[in-house]
Amino acid sequence: MTQRDRFEAVYDAYYPAIHQYAARRTSSPDDTADIISETFLTAWRRIGDVPEGDRALLWLYGVARRVLANQRRSATRRAVLVDRLRDELAAGRPVTPVDLEHVQTAFDALPGRDREVLALACWEGLTSEEIAEVVGCTRIAARSRLHRARKRLAALLERRPSSTIAMGEA
Amino acid sequence: MNDIDRLVKALDLAPHPPAQGPAARELRTAIMETPQARGRSSWFRRGGVRLPVLISAVAAAAVAIAVGVGLPSRGPATEYANAAVSIARGDEYFSVTITDPAADHRRFEEAFRAVGLKVRVKVVPVAPEHVGMLLGPIVPGGFKGPGSVGVHEMTPCASAFCGKVWLPANLSQLVVFGVGRPARAGETYAEADLYDPSGEEALKGYTTRGKTVAAVRDELRRRELKVAYRLLWVTEDNGFFDEVVSAGRVKDDWIVNGTRFRSSDTVDVYIDPGPGAGPMPDSREVARPEWYDGLTD
Repeated sequence: MTQRDRFEAVYDAYYPAIHQYAARRTSSPDDTADIISETFLTAWRRIGDVPEGDRALLWLYGVARRVLANQRRSATRRAVLVDRLRDELAAGRPVTPVDLEHVQTAFDALPGRDREVLALACWEGLTSEEIAEVVGCTRIAARSRLHRARKRLAALLERRPSSTIAMGEA
Repeated sequence: MNDIDRLVKALDLAPHPPAQGPAARELRTAIMETPQARGRSSWFRRGGVRLPVLISAVAAAAVAIAVGVGLPSRGPATEYANAAVSIARGDEYFSVTITDPAADHRRFEEAFRAVGLKVRVKVVPVAPEHVGMLLGPIVPGGFKGPGSVGVHEMTPCASAFCGKVWLPANLSQLVVFGVGRPARAGETYAEADLYDPSGEEALKGYTTRGKTVAAVRDELRRRELKVAYRLLWVTEDNGFFDEVVSAGRVKDDWIVNGTRFRSSDTVDVYIDPGPGAGPMPDSREVARPEWYDGLTD
């Protein structure tokens, strides 16, 4: 398999997941397109470093996470690569349902680290071990962060009189 | 999945995988038309598999190799290896491979320094499963940014440790790493990780979480292990810290949160404070020295 074949396979397999990852964490199609573009550009440049199998997705999440954190944007690159993608992404961006606004408010009030591990667990469906690989910490630290994040969110939600929240173990 | 997870999942703004439209396919083509980075030619990396550094630890104790690729002759090396560690500088991170965890800390520091990183390294005793591990990074006084610092362990690894290290390029603050060496019998381990309050188990075939202090103490003694006690306090913001206490501070019927080996012959029993344990102390007053304390510029 050539490097081009490998990249095409990685792109086709994981474009939907990286698209979702980016869309969940950005507020505009521009930013979503940037994250997707930068992430796969990195994968192309370093295709030899991309792990085989499903671990490739965790590797891509790790790259996307850093792209997001660093907000590295290249206007030139975006103009060339992602303008059309932005238009494709712009259609029908969903909004939070009204009856979940209190959950969104509580979620937004959490520290960034808490939001990150909760999102990776609940949106990307990652285990603690996989979260550790994406964010670059130990499995124990990831478990601990996730546990604390759940407890903090439960505490915030319990301040609403009508909420009854059950905390369980993943 | 618990209620909290279900609520967070309901916030997902992109719950369904998108179809790959024509613009996404154009992006793929456009990316593949951009130049790829040159492969980092390296004498210790072949076929994507990191091999152990090919230097005899005995014969090469004083040997160090620095390889500069495309850099000014006086700038930092892009790769450096000695008998203890090899470090390669990439576009976004440093790849670190530890081959001799018991080497003198100066061997590690010289390698980091060679690739342009100002770090201090302390070789510390650790539990067997953490031997070779790179601990940290720690920025005494707190990391002030911008950017991020971190270590990501890579597996599989043919050496004692393989990992990636992220540090901002122009970080002026002191950064401390630890390298885990085998602890001697009875020597207290440096804590590589925070205790996990959702429960850790030290004993094979015996779950300590949820049992009484008396039951766990009996089991530890049956296994001829010494017992140490820590109260696990949960703060108002759902953080936690532990307080080392004597046996006299602990009641037999208090409930154990979990256990962790403190040394080869002693187990720390983490306990949920029971009736009369009170009041919660100031976490700063009960903090113990950490493995990275005492290092300065």
